[in-house]
Amino acid sequence: MQKNLVIAGHELKSRLFLGTGRYPNPYIQNKAIEASETEVLTFAIRRVNLQDPHEDSILQHVGGRYFQFLPNTSGAKNAEEAIRIARLAKASGISDWIKVEISKNEKTLLPDPIETLKATEVLAKEGFVVLPYISDDPVICKKLEEAGAAAVMPGGSPIGTGLGILNPYNISLIVEELNVPVIVDAGLGSAADVTQAMELGADGVLLNTAIAKAKDPIAMAHSIKHAIQAGRLSYLAGRIPKKKYATASSPISSGI
Amino acid sequence: MTKQVLIIGGGVIGLSAAFECQRRGNQVTLLESTKCGGQASGAAAGMLAPYCEIEEDPDEFFLLCQKSLKLFPEWQKEVKKYASMDFEYNNSGSLYGIFHEADILGLETKMSWQKEFGVGARIIEGKELEKKEPGLSKDIIAALWCPEESHIYAPDYVKALETACRRLGVSIHDQLGMLKINEHNGQLTVLAPDGTAFEGDTIVIATGAWSQMWEEIFPYSFPVFPIRGQICAYNEIEPTNHIIFTSQGYLVSKGNGTLVCGASEDIAGFDTSVTEKGIERLEKWNRKVLPALHNKRPFHKWAGLRPATQDGFPLIGKLSEYPEVIFATGHYRNGILLSPITGKIVANELEGNNNPVPIERFNPERFITL
Repeated sequence: MQKNLVIAGHELKSRLFLGTGRYPNPYIQNKAIEASETEVLTFAIRRVNLQDPHEDSILQHVGGRYFQFLPNTSGAKNAEEAIRIARLAKASGISDWIKVEISKNEKTLLPDPIETLKATEVLAKEGFVVLPYISDDPVICKKLEEAGAAAVMPGGSPIGTGLGILNPYNISLIVEELNVPVIVDAGLGSAADVTQAMELGADGVLLNTAIAKAKDPIAMAHSIKHAIQAGRLSYLAGRIPKKKYATASSPISSGI
Repeated sequence: MTKQVLIIGGGVIGLSAAFECQRRGNQVTLLESTKCGGQASGAAAGMLAPYCEIEEDPDEFFLLCQKSLKLFPEWQKEVKKYASMDFEYNNSGSLYGIFHEADILGLETKMSWQKEFGVGARIIEGKELEKKEPGLSKDIIAALWCPEESHIYAPDYVKALETACRRLGVSIHDQLGMLKINEHNGQLTVLAPDGTAFEGDTIVIATGAWSQMWEEIFPYSFPVFPIRGQICAYNEIEPTNHIIFTSQGYLVSKGNGTLVCGASEDIAGFDTSVTEKGIERLEKWNRKVLPALHNKRPFHKWAGLRPATQDGFPLIGKLSEYPEVIFATGHYRNGILLSPITGKIVANELEGNNNPVPIERFNPERFITL
């Protein structure tokens, strides 16, 4: 029996965290979310109608089902801004989970590690369940854990690029060194990327563009769901070591 | 060579294709189930605003929208000329208003990639913003100003297109009921419920939200489905100077003194009624954008069915196994904006001419059935 993912005492049956942006229309969005079987939805706080989230142009369409919302601070350029919008989200009653996302460069949208660490410290102390989006650096990821992050979310590659995991070695180090869950966030473009993340030992993945911008987002959502399962099982099953030369799979001297 | 062209669908796309094909010397017959412009086209707010509406990075769809926006000045003049009718075409520019400083980064990203396509947008705030649009809420801390964006009064535009088509000699048959295509000995015929058969060298499919039914005759998947868009309008209100966008919707002042606000999207099959929830949501939000709406209630509410597609791109182009069939459907929220370019692409496909923008991404055969 496989264990479920637990974040801050909250048990999740699905290891997929899904973004709500960039879908071609609400119908496809709903169907894709449904097909993915995700339980955690993320969205930018700045884009949401916080006073009336159930009337929001995006969130209104996912009403009627239970989701753990993971609002994010995307667009924040420093810790102070991120903390401010995180508090807005919490005060609105939407969620006390927060994905800290702080970027300055409008081209790469890469996370600012120093500001991310600052915001994580403050928000964790205030009782938020903090999931910071961060670069794939094992040292900063460990520091985020020490600062009180409930899970850490290293990026595979820049947001929306679909470049996959650029540094698998780093991701596996992060998985090895952290005690809190590791969710690979950003840059995953297909089922193969997702399987790779899970095989490296990630506890889950967060993606958005890979599904929302696929030619058939609903089919891709199905595919990602299976990829997570396949990668997780492969990781737990334990892969064979790589060798340079062949070994016959039907041994010559079989033990009769 | 003059071709006999059958166009199925009298919405803005079918009418634009008819207008362009007829002008180029072909003989067009346009077939409409109910009445021309009776669905999404007549219900549209007429926004010609791809720079505000497209959040994404540049792709073929952006190029298609931009090309069409640039065609509009000349195109609308031609429609007016042939129709001998006027309609509102307003180069007001647009403001994309934001409530959080964290939204600036998003606007900067958009501005930086659009700049490479010659888009002259700029972020404005403070006194400059107040001067440009005095009625805006003070909670809007900044806005992206896109001076090239425009809007058109869609119901009049569609009427003028229909009139222009008639005057050019397009034969328009409306109130036909649900149309069918029959194949007999390799010859395609369009059949009306009363038994009338129409034949032509080419059939153009411009049936918007009603396009999935063609899966019955052609061996492809056409995942086009209706998304209801609810809109409302206020009257006796100080007009705004620009089209105003926010993350939740848009407001636009029309020349007839109304302020049109949209849109609440939902999934309701082919039902075009408005709901309390859909309109109240708009009203509540509009007051946050324009405080002058505080005591106002909309005097008019309506809805249209936007033909949405599985990947967000329209279906435009020929079928490879049926080269006499040209698709022009699935324009979702952008039918009015994309009407000139789609009309021209249909005419180019008909004549075998090159298109001004790449259309491979819009290939109507791109979807597969799983």
